[in-house]
Amino acid sequence: MSIRVLLLAIACLFCNGLNAQAQADDPVALVERTTGRIFANVAENLEEYTANPQALKTLVRTDLMPLLDVNYAARLVLGRAGRGLEKEKIEEFAICMSSLLVNRYSKGLLYFSSDIKLQVLPQRGELNEKVTRVRTRVTLPNGKEAPVDYAFHKTPEGWKAFDVIVEGISYITTYRNQIMPDVQANGIDSVIARLGTGDLELSN
Amino acid sequence: MKKRLSLFSFIFLSLLIAGCAGTQNRHTDPENDPWEGFNRKIYAFNDGLDKVVRPVAVGYDKIMPDPFQRGVGNFFRNIDTPVTFVNQVLQGKFKQSGSSVGRFLVNSTIGLLGFFDVATKMGLPYYDEDLGQTLAAWGYENSRYLMLPVLGPSSVRDGVGRFTDSYYHPVGRALHGRDIYAYWIVRGVDQRARFLDQDEEFEQAYDPYVLLRDVWLQNREFQVYDGDPPMTDYDLYLDDYAEEEEPDSEE
Repeated sequence: MSIRVLLLAIACLFCNGLNAQAQADDPVALVERTTGRIFANVAENLEEYTANPQALKTLVRTDLMPLLDVNYAARLVLGRAGRGLEKEKIEEFAICMSSLLVNRYSKGLLYFSSDIKLQVLPQRGELNEKVTRVRTRVTLPNGKEAPVDYAFHKTPEGWKAFDVIVEGISYITTYRNQIMPDVQANGIDSVIARLGTGDLELSN
Repeated sequence: MKKRLSLFSFIFLSLLIAGCAGTQNRHTDPENDPWEGFNRKIYAFNDGLDKVVRPVAVGYDKIMPDPFQRGVGNFFRNIDTPVTFVNQVLQGKFKQSGSSVGRFLVNSTIGLLGFFDVATKMGLPYYDEDLGQTLAAWGYENSRYLMLPVLGPSSVRDGVGRFTDSYYHPVGRALHGRDIYAYWIVRGVDQRARFLDQDEEFEQAYDPYVLLRDVWLQNREFQVYDGDPPMTDYDLYLDDYAEEEEPDSEE
């Protein structure tokens, strides 16, 4: 009897282990876990974060950043304007972009935190390693549902997101059409300087 | 009606002339926006108009309690339902059109003229259709971007759609030929107030005209595809520059 229970327990552990393994790899599960964790944390410590937005930025940075492929996003945004740029420059630009993103996301979290609801929709179709869309529905306090999708691709370090699409509006597409001509006209350093103003020191 | 039409046609004609007279012609998106020079002029005109409209919208936003604003939004959404219904039928979305009938009946009565969206809670979802979307569904997929005076971003297809829709829109129809502007003004101010959050984004944009166009075009496609547009082809964005150094991303 006790041996059977023990075996069962081991089997369960093993299954859970396997599940966790499978989960870790799947973009839908990644979004579910990460957003769930961030939202719960914000709801719990809302007062602290309202008083100290810096702490929230740190939370978002540590929780969200590992999930994002910011260098790939930077390449997409720069497009033709990134041709011939050194890798370091692109990475510098990527850091700027990610700081902006963290700031915006943190602001949004504080703003909507009261009663925001998030629903991650199940994966539709096959997982495509080049680009897979994770669809979520955010219910805003006014009851309006906003579809927020994430574009993921598979990297050597696992699945990573590189675009956010809110009501059909792609962050990459929109940002790209602002940044590309700016870089072409004024050069990457000027753009980095402009984006980074008052931002980089806030982000750490 | 004559008066209103003539006012609009006057504005439009003078802008058209101004547009034609313009010499600088920028082409940031020749495919979707071949009339960019002209559109930019109307954008500038609308931007000037916004100097007057925005403060009113800010005031409205400040004075009106949120639940009331929500009610006004619900009211306008409800009053548009017949247009959605007609276009659902035109697109063969009969099941959804039934939901729209139900919504309109429920919200116009129990929902007190649409101020309360009771129908959504009853499981009758909200849909949004118009003639522009119907024309798109019928195959008129790509249309030139067209900035309309006062009304803002649109396209040739959607401008025609909007104009036609207004003929059987319950309020549009009732107000046709009358000098009653209160409805349009309240609607316009309410609409504007909903975008106040985005103002900062536009102020900081490198090219606000392009930002508005991008946002509008993408969101419009999203509506045409009922919230499920095809995925962007990100490969195109990498262009030729990344060819040799493939997207191997390091953290």
